Amino acid sequence: MPSESARMSSATEARYRIQAPNSTPRSITVIALDARSEAVVRRSATRSWNHATFLTASANLDGWLSDLAGRSRDLMNEVEGADLVVMVATPGGHAEAASIIGQACSLKRVMTTALVVGATSAPDEAVSETLAQVRPWALMVVIANPVDYIDDMLAALRA
Amino acid sequence: MLRKEQNDLLTQTGPGTPMGQMFRRYWLPALLTDELPENDCPPVRVKLLSERLLAFRDSKGRYGLIDEFCAHRGVSLWFGRNEDCGLRCSYHGWKYDVTGQCIDVPSEPEQSGFARKITLASYPLIERGGLLWTYMGPPEGQPPLPEWEFATVPRAQTITTKRVQDSNWLQALEGGIDSSHVSFLHRADLNSDPMFKGARGNQYSLGDLRPVFEVVESPGGLYIGARRNAEHGHYYWRITQWVMPSFTMIPPRGDHSVHGHFWVPIDDEHCWTWSYEYHPTRPLTDAEVAAVRAGKGIHVQYEPGTFRPLANRDNDYLMDRAAQKAGKTFSGVAGFAVQDASVQESMGPIVDRTKENLVSTDNGIIMARHRLLHALKALVDQGVTPPGVDPVHQKVRSASLILPADQPFKDGAREALIARPEVAPASV
Repeated sequence: MPSESARMSSATEARYRIQAPNSTPRSITVIALDARSEAVVRRSATRSWNHATFLTASANLDGWLSDLAGRSRDLMNEVEGADLVVMVATPGGHAEAASIIGQACSLKRVMTTALVVGATSAPDEAVSETLAQVRPWALMVVIANPVDYIDDMLAALRA
Repeated sequence: MLRKEQNDLLTQTGPGTPMGQMFRRYWLPALLTDELPENDCPPVRVKLLSERLLAFRDSKGRYGLIDEFCAHRGVSLWFGRNEDCGLRCSYHGWKYDVTGQCIDVPSEPEQSGFARKITLASYPLIERGGLLWTYMGPPEGQPPLPEWEFATVPRAQTITTKRVQDSNWLQALEGGIDSSHVSFLHRADLNSDPMFKGARGNQYSLGDLRPVFEVVESPGGLYIGARRNAEHGHYYWRITQWVMPSFTMIPPRGDHSVHGHFWVPIDDEHCWTWSYEYHPTRPLTDAEVAAVRAGKGIHVQYEPGTFRPLANRDNDYLMDRAAQKAGKTFSGVAGFAVQDASVQESMGPIVDRTKENLVSTDNGIIMARHRLLHALKALVDQGVTPPGVDPVHQKVRSASLILPADQPFKDGAREALIARPEVAPASV
């Protein structure tokens, strides 16, 4: 007589797993921190997403946070409605906005991820400089070379 | 989550599948050298990548890995006689050498040359570091011999075990690169297991249950860094290596031996978990070897005469709810390896990744899948050799170290992440 663990881990029993949805949609806000990462975010935003919002903080002006059409957005409102904020940066870019976004996320207890793209071809100093800016404010840091990683990441996270 | 077609792509490794094609570009561990201990010893059945094979060692010490079944009537050659430089089928006496070439068909006139027309599929089988490695890909693509440090240090410095896992290879690998489970599933064992206890790093691991992760692409795969608070503006870093397709190296603790895994598909619902233990600069102590033999650390005790863990799904992994309640184990299952096997096998033979809900700290897993899918596409579409085949990608080390808070681990640990003969590992 097989044990319960043996029976329950079989392919036969896998057919009886409940197929009902086991999660409600999560909202993910993606924010470009510099001009080059904005291009990455713009490309990603053209895909079809269910629960992703794409913004940019690359303007470095008074209305510093905007959507990709240039309309100003309120940071606290955006953070409040998000389950996860992904900050996208490129090596050597201006990622100063990470601290403001990070503080807002900390205040609202929202998870943060920093995604540094195009790092393999960049000088180490540029990568380090960007990391120093994002690391204090990110609970997860990903350094990826291919720019399409963001798409796979968002898909994996059900954005 | 993955779409079903992506999940199928990554988990199916039989002949003709894209992932099977990719696995067949690497030297893979097939057997322990001890399984073929002497010339003309009994042959051993081997199933790899959904292919039934037979390994044997002939009268001259040559190793062979050939199709398990005789070309005549399909009898298993495991029943054959290993003698006079060949394996003779016990049914009608057809005989094969280590390359699978038939060298004798007793019922046919010797002068007819009929035997030369019979050839079983075979793969090279070479010894390195106490393991027998095979390459199952196209001969023209055979890479240089494996250069993993655990397989190239003197034999007194290394020992490897293996166990059968009743799950697809990918969910086993994903457990190996999922550093965040250690603080839960294995937490009770860090300070008690003889191959882990006593290291200063354990206190950081147990004192900070919310590590911050950094995932960085490496030439052969990924560096997966887990950062915890240490003293005076410093961080304690644990950096795991993943090299494609399925090699991992766990960050070391103190002066304990270094260890890690290699997951190799047996078929799509089972895999070998290879577990190596070595030290780059010194022989393993008698106590370390005894601990490995006793199933401590990442190793297991076996059902007698098999490579199946003594605690397995047929006995509910010897679940001990009293030990769980008392805090002696977190899950009620004892031992790192069986703890991993129990949760990974409970997911089912091939987990349905369309239903999972990954979170941000799962980026190591997400990135690994991303890299595997990219490498698959490049291999299938353009014949590009995947990462991890190049021996340079194999000369790596994991590391545990303390770095200033403002230093990227890729910089601070740059030297530590490369295997250098006679150089001690970076370990806290």
